[in-house]
Amino acid sequence: MALEVLLALGMFAAAIAALLAGYPVALTLGGIALIFALLGMSLGVFPDSLLSSLPSRIQGGAIMQNETLVAVPLFVLMGVILERSKVAEDLLHIASRLLGRVNGGLGYAVVLVGALLAASTGIVGATVITMTLIALPSMLRQKYDPRLATGTIAASGTLGQIIPPSIVLILLADAVSNSASQAASQMGIGAFVVSVGDLFAGALIPGLILVGLYLVWIAITAWLHPERCPPAADDTADPLTRKEVIFGLGAPLVLIFAVLGAILSGIATPTEAAAIGVAGAILLAGLRLSDSSDGWLVTLVYAAFAGLGIIVVVRNLVDLRLGVADATVFAFAGVAIALAASVAFFAGLIAGMLILYRRAQLSPALKSGVHITSMVFLILIGASLFSLVFRGFGGDEIVADVLHAVPGGKWGALIGAMLVMFMLGFFLDFIEIIFVVVPLVTPPLIVMGFDPVWLAILMALNLQTSFLTPPFGFALFYLRGAAPDEVKTSQIWQGAVPFIGLQLIMILLVASLPWLATWLPSIAVK
Amino acid sequence: MEPEVFLRIGAFLKWVGIIVIPVFLLPLLTLVLPGVFSAASRTLRNHIDEVTQWVLRAATVFALALVIFQLAVVIASYAFAMSWTWLSESVIYAFAAMFMLGSASALLQDAHVRVDILRPRFGEHGRYWVELVGTYLFLFPIMVRLLMTGEQGLTRTWTLFEGSRESDGLPLLFLFKTLVPVFAVLMLTAGLSVALRASLKLTGGLPHDDDEDLPQAGEHYGA
Repeated sequence: MALEVLLALGMFAAAIAALLAGYPVALTLGGIALIFALLGMSLGVFPDSLLSSLPSRIQGGAIMQNETLVAVPLFVLMGVILERSKVAEDLLHIASRLLGRVNGGLGYAVVLVGALLAASTGIVGATVITMTLIALPSMLRQKYDPRLATGTIAASGTLGQIIPPSIVLILLADAVSNSASQAASQMGIGAFVVSVGDLFAGALIPGLILVGLYLVWIAITAWLHPERCPPAADDTADPLTRKEVIFGLGAPLVLIFAVLGAILSGIATPTEAAAIGVAGAILLAGLRLSDSSDGWLVTLVYAAFAGLGIIVVVRNLVDLRLGVADATVFAFAGVAIALAASVAFFAGLIAGMLILYRRAQLSPALKSGVHITSMVFLILIGASLFSLVFRGFGGDEIVADVLHAVPGGKWGALIGAMLVMFMLGFFLDFIEIIFVVVPLVTPPLIVMGFDPVWLAILMALNLQTSFLTPPFGFALFYLRGAAPDEVKTSQIWQGAVPFIGLQLIMILLVASLPWLATWLPSIAVK
Repeated sequence: MEPEVFLRIGAFLKWVGIIVIPVFLLPLLTLVLPGVFSAASRTLRNHIDEVTQWVLRAATVFALALVIFQLAVVIASYAFAMSWTWLSESVIYAFAAMFMLGSASALLQDAHVRVDILRPRFGEHGRYWVELVGTYLFLFPIMVRLLMTGEQGLTRTWTLFEGSRESDGLPLLFLFKTLVPVFAVLMLTAGLSVALRASLKLTGGLPHDDDEDLPQAGEHYGA
């Protein structure tokens, strides 16, 4: 027994030391686990059979047949297509032109666009880099205080984790749902179900409050220190045309709200909504990148939008189920129209892809989507090997015992777990923490009586704060990499401090008022 | 077709695998005797990278297929209240194929997340040593273990030509399960390419700081 405990702890320590060498995290976790498993087998304290279940674990419902996680590559593709097609860039340009004339206007624009962009990608690195490249130069040119400018950009970039439909919330839902059913079986009660939709609904109110807090902070700064965020002095560029505003601002907004609305209202599962989101992104990108040589392709793209609209209308007017006995002529006509509309939709989708292909954007977007998805799932594979071996040594019981031994009862355990995750957030990113740490600490916390959705939202807020915290915060690293040299690193760190304060306020709010996270999921349509 | 034919092919592939094991020593040999082995290493690396590029293209086709199949599922179920197991299974198969085939290319493109705290301080040579040690200590053992433990299950699924459990499902579950060893082999060869590159760089067999191998801005980001 003591030997197993020693091996479990040694494995954790070895993993952390090995990770610092900088070899890919997924393979480091898996490799360390394998070495310790072989060591344990040779010492006779690790069952051989555990390791041989690895291929079937990979093939099974946890990874390769995980229907929940199908939404991940779809949202990734939606994000990279919007990014590649400059739809995201336009959004920031237009928002800053519209808001740039007031004190703090660029700051508001960055926060709002960060929330929207992030909602479409959920990838902090990408959002922070994009916004740093586009918004930071114009903020500095407008004589913004570099501290305020960088703090706003870094914080807004991390909004992507908490504002649905974020990819990390999907992964977190998967992990928390498994933990919840484990906890339920330990407590001998019926299963808790935690769906992706529950987490999206739970994260919405805290996410929006957070956006509000950021905006209020910029407004206060603009009021007390207008010199830190002056308005645009002279706007020499042509005024925005109505078409630019409708296409650049309206279309992406409609896309994001449609995807989110479909999930929260229960019309579509996150995976289904994500598929529609990719289609919308391809169509919008096709329109955005089209030029005069694409005449009929553009027509087809418009036809796809029309087709989508017709399907929704016809479906809600006519019963299109052909199997039903009393199918009328009316129903057959409806089916014919809906079929034609579906054909138009797919034709337009292919036209949109063709336009992307002609502009040499289709293949890079798909490749980047494949790479990001592979990155996520290789971590899942490495982390599941790690968890398998850690559990084989009884590591999960050690974690549960430690959590029970923390002074202060269940709140002490919660604070302890959150602090550990906060520290780990300095060098592991969200995905690794979800796959390695969340499955270990969540079941005991749920057994102690915490609500799974509420826990997940607290964890998300906690990690988001960790990514903003100097000196190791991820968002600050990305920002440093993309920012010009005249911005000092110390300024970036100072800029993050007030936003960390806002994050802490938010965490305390959710901790003391759990309904902020649990009310919306409880009324959302199941 | 008789299952025996495929089992023979499988056994043959296994022996091919065992015979090519010495090739995996090439990075180390290059390190010791760069003059003798550099040329071979460069050629092998180019071939691996080329094949991985083709596999990446296949993965992007699966990515597109995932989008189209999932949209078909959505429209069929939303508008016509219809669903077919084979279509939902196609979604899952495309989803899994996308990352099982894409991981090797992501390794070559340095798209997998690393911990970047100490890494910049190691210098160029230090980082190549980390690649070499990591490949031999972590990557190769994981993938070899995966191949070894998967052998029995693979034989069984091909003997049965295992299909879906549902009557209207795809009869291709054996191909789906074959993705795991394919993934392992692709990762082994991609790891070999990474190790070869590190050895060549360390012994001056490839110019230092060439732009082709630097990760693209934005390629290497976490969540």
